Amino acid sequence: MKRRDFLKYTAAASAVAAGAAQGFRLGGLPVYAQSPPMLGGNVLESDKILIIVQLFGGNDGLNTIVPLNDDNYHNLRPTIRVRPEDNPAQIAGSEAYFHPALVDSFDGGFLKLHDEGRLAVIQGIGYEHPNLSHFRSTDIWLSGYNPRDEDIFSDPQVRLLDGWVGRFFAHSIPTFPSDLPSYPLAIQIGGQLSLMLQSDAGDAGIAITDPERFFSQDGGLSADEAALPGVDAYEKEYNYILQVAQASDRYKDEVKAAYEGGKTTIQYGEGLPQQFGTVARMISGGLGTKVYLLRMGGFDNHVNQAFEGQTGFHPALLQQLSMGISQFMADAVNQGFADRVVGMTVTEFGRRPRENGSRGTDHGTTSVQFVFGERVRAGLYGDNPDLARFLKDSDRNSNLDYQNDYRRVYAEILEVLFGAEKADVEAILGKQFVHMGILDPAISSVDNPFVNQFSGAALRLSPNPSAGNVSAAFELKRPAMVDISLYSIKGVHEMRIRHGMFNRGVHSVHFNAPNGGVWLCVLEAEGRQIAEKLVVLR
Amino acid sequence: MNRRDFLRMNTSGSSFRARSPQDWDDTLGVTAGLEERPGQLTRADALHLLRRFTLAPTHDLLAEIEGKTAQEAVELLLGPVYDPELNPEPLPEPPGPWVDSTEEDPLEADLITRNQIEKRWENQHDMLRQWWVERMHAETLPAREKLTLFWSGHFTTEFTFDDVYSVPQLLYRQNQMLRSYRQGDLKQFVEQVTLDGAMLAYLGGELNVAGNPNENYARELFELFTTGLGWYSEAEVQASARVLTGWKASKYNSAPAPRGMYKSYFIPEDHDIGAKELLGGIIAARDEDFNTEVLVRRDEIRGMIELIFALERNDGREHAVARFIGEKLYHYFIYSKPVAPPEDFMLQLQQRFIDNNYNMRAVLGAILRSAHFYEPAVRGVQIKTPAEFMVGFARQMGASPATVATAMAQVEQDLFDPRDVSGWDGYRAWISTKTYPLRAAFTRELIRAIPDAQLVDWARRFTGFDDAYLLTAAVEEFLLPRPVSTERHDAYVDALLTGETRDYEWPEIIGGTDPGSAALRLRSLLTAISRAPDFHLC
Repeated sequence: MKRRDFLKYTAAASAVAAGAAQGFRLGGLPVYAQSPPMLGGNVLESDKILIIVQLFGGNDGLNTIVPLNDDNYHNLRPTIRVRPEDNPAQIAGSEAYFHPALVDSFDGGFLKLHDEGRLAVIQGIGYEHPNLSHFRSTDIWLSGYNPRDEDIFSDPQVRLLDGWVGRFFAHSIPTFPSDLPSYPLAIQIGGQLSLMLQSDAGDAGIAITDPERFFSQDGGLSADEAALPGVDAYEKEYNYILQVAQASDRYKDEVKAAYEGGKTTIQYGEGLPQQFGTVARMISGGLGTKVYLLRMGGFDNHVNQAFEGQTGFHPALLQQLSMGISQFMADAVNQGFADRVVGMTVTEFGRRPRENGSRGTDHGTTSVQFVFGERVRAGLYGDNPDLARFLKDSDRNSNLDYQNDYRRVYAEILEVLFGAEKADVEAILGKQFVHMGILDPAISSVDNPFVNQFSGAALRLSPNPSAGNVSAAFELKRPAMVDISLYSIKGVHEMRIRHGMFNRGVHSVHFNAPNGGVWLCVLEAEGRQIAEKLVVLR
Repeated sequence: MNRRDFLRMNTSGSSFRARSPQDWDDTLGVTAGLEERPGQLTRADALHLLRRFTLAPTHDLLAEIEGKTAQEAVELLLGPVYDPELNPEPLPEPPGPWVDSTEEDPLEADLITRNQIEKRWENQHDMLRQWWVERMHAETLPAREKLTLFWSGHFTTEFTFDDVYSVPQLLYRQNQMLRSYRQGDLKQFVEQVTLDGAMLAYLGGELNVAGNPNENYARELFELFTTGLGWYSEAEVQASARVLTGWKASKYNSAPAPRGMYKSYFIPEDHDIGAKELLGGIIAARDEDFNTEVLVRRDEIRGMIELIFALERNDGREHAVARFIGEKLYHYFIYSKPVAPPEDFMLQLQQRFIDNNYNMRAVLGAILRSAHFYEPAVRGVQIKTPAEFMVGFARQMGASPATVATAMAQVEQDLFDPRDVSGWDGYRAWISTKTYPLRAAFTRELIRAIPDAQLVDWARRFTGFDDAYLLTAAVEEFLLPRPVSTERHDAYVDALLTGETRDYEWPEIIGGTDPGSAALRLRSLLTAISRAPDFHLC
């Protein structure tokens, strides 16, 4: 079987029932060659909406969420640092500070959003074997595949050809792409259709830049021709153009009706806020679109990133970002759709801890990510980075290590927001990822309907630290479908320990950790996760 | 076989980024290679060559090359051979005296002055892109301007980036430089680009100084300009940045201009004189006495370029630069789908690069004379770029290009200002629900605006113009890349004979003294043809 076919089968829905599917063995887990259809509910019946804000160019995480009390930060960034007198805002209970421009934007900005429980901040988001090319790393983020995951792709040059959102729709809509709703599944504001919204079976969205122009176009754009029957390149290109022409005609009325019937309750600012205003109006007008992609460029600040007092380009971008999200959330609350919406930022990488000689920063690795929405569990996820080593000459051009695999958030959104099951996530992302608990309130045993606390923990690992031979014990309140798996500390699935129905009562399973290091052992009972750290000394 | 194995089978050494994935592993299925295409060009061959190598066929060029051999036709279209250093090609007249005007540094000026300067620059950018469109439109050998456009999208600079502008006077000089080197020695070309004033300003070169390297240009030099991903390490990017330290361009009247305004110059104390190890070679440390413009340029800049061009692997089966540039040329002239071209063809093409010591005219000529290029499967598979679609159509129709530069920017080919440093994505990215309606509107407006008499004269240049059936067939052949079905042909004849016109009345209409009546019907035909998907193909 060729890779293309693998992707087709994992992306597109198939009629094969779950039990009958053939599985490849991958890291001890079955990966379905012919994936079962979406196990979770039908996405078309969901009223949930995902908004993705892409920050192109590589947003500087260290000057977005600032480790203000770390002297190393100030030493590494003598000219562009945020100083105490610039009034960054401390995130309660942490040593991390919002850049002042994130707060001084609209009605308290990110600080207020956070304090009101609508904003989560993730530090150290990234992936294994980071690539410092804008384009390659963007493709990795948008595709949801890390080609250097050694057990997925063996070749770092492998082409990334479709996106995680595109695959999600292709996987979850049985009739995709032939029989689709009258609204676009996804709308991208501006530019050419993103890799994120493409799938092997077809595009899962449209791009519009200027809604007025899109709506005012004349009808009858598509010719009367039918699609050509052949499968050679010529017919494929011909049919592609025909399909875009027909989509231009088809979606125009629906989008226009929603836009004209919708409203905003906020006077949106220029730039990104204006894009948010367009989205708010379409949601308000009842458009069924599930995913919106907004894009903001300019983050590649090799030069003159900021001036003293935090004026300059990067602060202005942060202010625009904060204003857009804050205004949108205020509007969403006013209009009553805030609990249907979850949004997140993505950026291809962060920047080098040490500034360069041009009052700027060169390409780096991990960055920060924001997740916003009414149902988000606000807070700071991840730690301030350890910057001490970058002061050493040997490490002056080194980059940050990541703390969390970027697909943890994708997986959590697919499962919690859109109701996908683990197997769906695996079909879409190629692997499973442990939730961070940003949407999902279940990484604790408090009020867990299935798992009891006993001996002080819901999941007891012993010995811990261990030499590798571990027993995991837990107590069920009632019979449940249980999965016990080991994940890397970054959140990527490593091995399944046990899976199956367990009776009520105390259980204990034994396993061998594959390598030394710190692991997350995750007990999942009927969709609720409990995670415990496991230290393996070898 | 496990998934890892079948993924490995389908990976390729090429690093071209794929953004439009549909049916991505299909190729054209052409087995003919780079061997010369024998015999004389038929009318269909000549039209194919003009579609791909120029912006669109015109009556004049078609008459010139039909019946010639591929060799003769390609040489004719490339024009005389020049040498940029010994016998330079005459360059077009500048767009106006403003190309020598100067400004102070707007970032040092007060806000009002800064706004005034930037307003003038915006204006100059408008004039510059319109000037280029007019060059493309008026050039008697438009293949040459299509090459300029190729290089402009390859060695990219942007007019607007971050919150600053490229100085239009530098962009103008860079554009002329592309003309001088577009058919020449690629190594010399890369050297020119590396020290080009607009480039030094755009990718941080002017801020790249000893002790504080800015690696922006060094990274893109590898990733986007010469080798593509996968041929160099992060350490080599950093070492290359050090090689490139010490160059600036004079661009403001408030700053030094030791070599004259808008010229690049070398500042010894900003150059890192230490040894640099990269790409399997060492650029030796230099004594202060030898830290001069001439020596650094010769030993370090040229030395590094030689190392880049020498990169090869698999016992010489893959040469980095020949592969990377060859693949780009293949996508530009043969099929833009972002997949690896046929391996046999690429091996032959790579050999041409090496045999001709990276002389671009020789390489280009080989592609356009090849049997591969003239295969039926190659015809019509290329999605027209905005330049081909808009400048090309205006040329074909003899229509004014007055609105073309603005229209091209709306459909995402803003000359001198691509979206980012990777240039234009191309292929299906050109056609979206955003751009398709705008392309259609442009065509409609252009057809409407051609004066009646001119339109009739245009039609009368086709053999058999006074026969409605022959004329329709000739216009189809002229404007569409492949023959159409009988049904479509009949529909186009009906479009020409609009308003109950009988076929026997056509000779009288086209031969009459009132052009209005014929023009009305010609517009009806052109409008019908322009709505077909294949009107966007070439």
